Amino acid sequence: MPEFLRARLDLVGLCGLLVVVLFAYQQLDPTLLDPSTITILSAQFLPLILAAVGQTIVMLTGGIDLSLGAVLSLGMAVFVVTATDDAGGVLLAMALALVVTVLAGAANGVLVAYAGLPPIIVTLAASFLWGGVTLIVLPQPGGHVPSGLVRAYNMGWHGIALPAVAIAIALVGWKLVRSTRFGMAVYAVGGNEHGAYANGIATGRTKILAYGFAGFFVGLAGIGLAIQTGSGDPTIGVPYTLNSIAVAVLGGISFFGGVGQMRGTVLGALLLGLLTNLLLFTGISTFYQMILQGVVLVVAVAVKTLATRERVA
Amino acid sequence: MRALLRDNRAAWSFGVLALVWLAAVLFAQGFDSIASVRYLIQTASFLGIVAVGQTLVVMMSGIDLSVSAVVALSAVVCARVASDSDGATGIMVALAVSVLVGLVNAAGLIWLHLPPMVMTLATGTVIAGALLIYTNGSPSSARIPLLDALANDDVLGVPLATVLWLAIAAAAVWLLHLSRLGRYAFALGNSEPASRASGVPVPVTTFVMYTACALLAGVAGLVLLGFTGTSSLTMGNPYQLLSIAAVVLGGTSILGGRGHVLGTVAGALLLTLLTALLVAWNLDEGPRQVALGLLIIALLLAYARERRTT
Repeated sequence: MPEFLRARLDLVGLCGLLVVVLFAYQQLDPTLLDPSTITILSAQFLPLILAAVGQTIVMLTGGIDLSLGAVLSLGMAVFVVTATDDAGGVLLAMALALVVTVLAGAANGVLVAYAGLPPIIVTLAASFLWGGVTLIVLPQPGGHVPSGLVRAYNMGWHGIALPAVAIAIALVGWKLVRSTRFGMAVYAVGGNEHGAYANGIATGRTKILAYGFAGFFVGLAGIGLAIQTGSGDPTIGVPYTLNSIAVAVLGGISFFGGVGQMRGTVLGALLLGLLTNLLLFTGISTFYQMILQGVVLVVAVAVKTLATRERVA
Repeated sequence: MRALLRDNRAAWSFGVLALVWLAAVLFAQGFDSIASVRYLIQTASFLGIVAVGQTLVVMMSGIDLSVSAVVALSAVVCARVASDSDGATGIMVALAVSVLVGLVNAAGLIWLHLPPMVMTLATGTVIAGALLIYTNGSPSSARIPLLDALANDDVLGVPLATVLWLAIAAAAVWLLHLSRLGRYAFALGNSEPASRASGVPVPVTTFVMYTACALLAGVAGLVLLGFTGTSSLTMGNPYQLLSIAAVVLGGTSILGGRGHVLGTVAGALLLTLLTALLVAWNLDEGPRQVALGLLIIALLLAYARERRTT
């Protein structure tokens, strides 16, 4: 096998799988490439993709975020509670939701960086905290999202798939951040924290920024979910915690940090989403969806671990 | 004395538990009666049994995220089988499927080289899906006299569930702190490469610890079924994160290799007591969770900080 293929084994494998799944999908649903289908699919996949992007940033630093689902719900709750019907009000609500989720993420980061507590238990405790704050902001499902926005988002706006555009902008944004000094530092801290520190990288600040950025993307995911469903739900985010970890691992992000690429995560999210939809077409009960998810996760990680003969995840 | 306290974080959890309990008796209503103590140790035993199992795998640097699914699995299967045949068969089948989950978890870790978090997350998801199919979304309820007695009866004023919990904890103390396998688990928790190099039988240790953890989650599901009389698909959900929290509040390092099973007993009691206190103060669900989260963070900062970073 040529060297460049071997080095990108997981990405090549994921792309291959994705092509197969897309082909099967096209057979079952010939409208796959129509703008309306793309709009609906991207609206459906946006929360998971962006949540997984957030989880990936944290995992690249060698951490893990078990409070992701709670922060996602928090962003959603703040957005639906503050949104008004005019464009300015919506933008203000979005900004407010993002500020809250970035601060929540950064607070996690401060505890991880300076309290000497492992990320897994910091974010575990934080999941109670942010889950509680969400319930204070929005005790019951409800809230308000302007119906015009919901329609434009889910049905297309002048033929443009808004969710797909949002995903693209977010990914390009991360690409830019990734190329900065901070982006390099994220990989350095995850790869070898002591080495990074010895080389003059402010490891604490890098971690706080990384958790803050994760909060930003997770907040976007929450806002997207609110616009897609047209209302808020304080507990809807919970499954995203473990699903985002599954998607990131599927995409080749290592639990130990410093290894993996964002495009892998995005491919993983697309693959899982499309597979789930495929299952719906085949008419099998949706109950099998969770079994499929578990099996895909085990098979993907096992194949990769056994093929590369290293314990990457 | 300071060194002793620093190196013995399980003792800390008992100290904090005593302090919180004293504060509860002094400053809150309804914590000074025998009945309240009885109720607390009874409700703590469900979490406690799961958390003792979780301790076994955390000690060897593992983690089991499938416990919540196993709690539900065991209760749902027991209720269903018991309504078709009899209670004893239901209990046996439920425990057998719990053990099976533990064996599958361990097999994935050993032969597929999966990280514990991925493997147990996957089995948990698969079980949750399988339960939906098995029950078609509506699990049955069942009154099984044996489990009813186990959950609600007393021995000399002590709830039988608590007696069972303490017996399980005693067995776990032997397994983890006095047996050869326990030493292996500690060694694995401190350094897996070093343990492998010095001949620790990793597969056997992994199989025993993960199977024991799943079995205990199954037992907790049965006791919970006896307590509530019904089974539900989500009845295990709180135990996934709370069991890990109880282990860590009990002074065990989440990175493995340090801690004591008895600390987990205190950790489970502490979490149950804190929850009961927050309920007693008539807080809404939201503020209650915020307070619980802040309290857990404060307690972790007080005595669960890690000296080594990984």
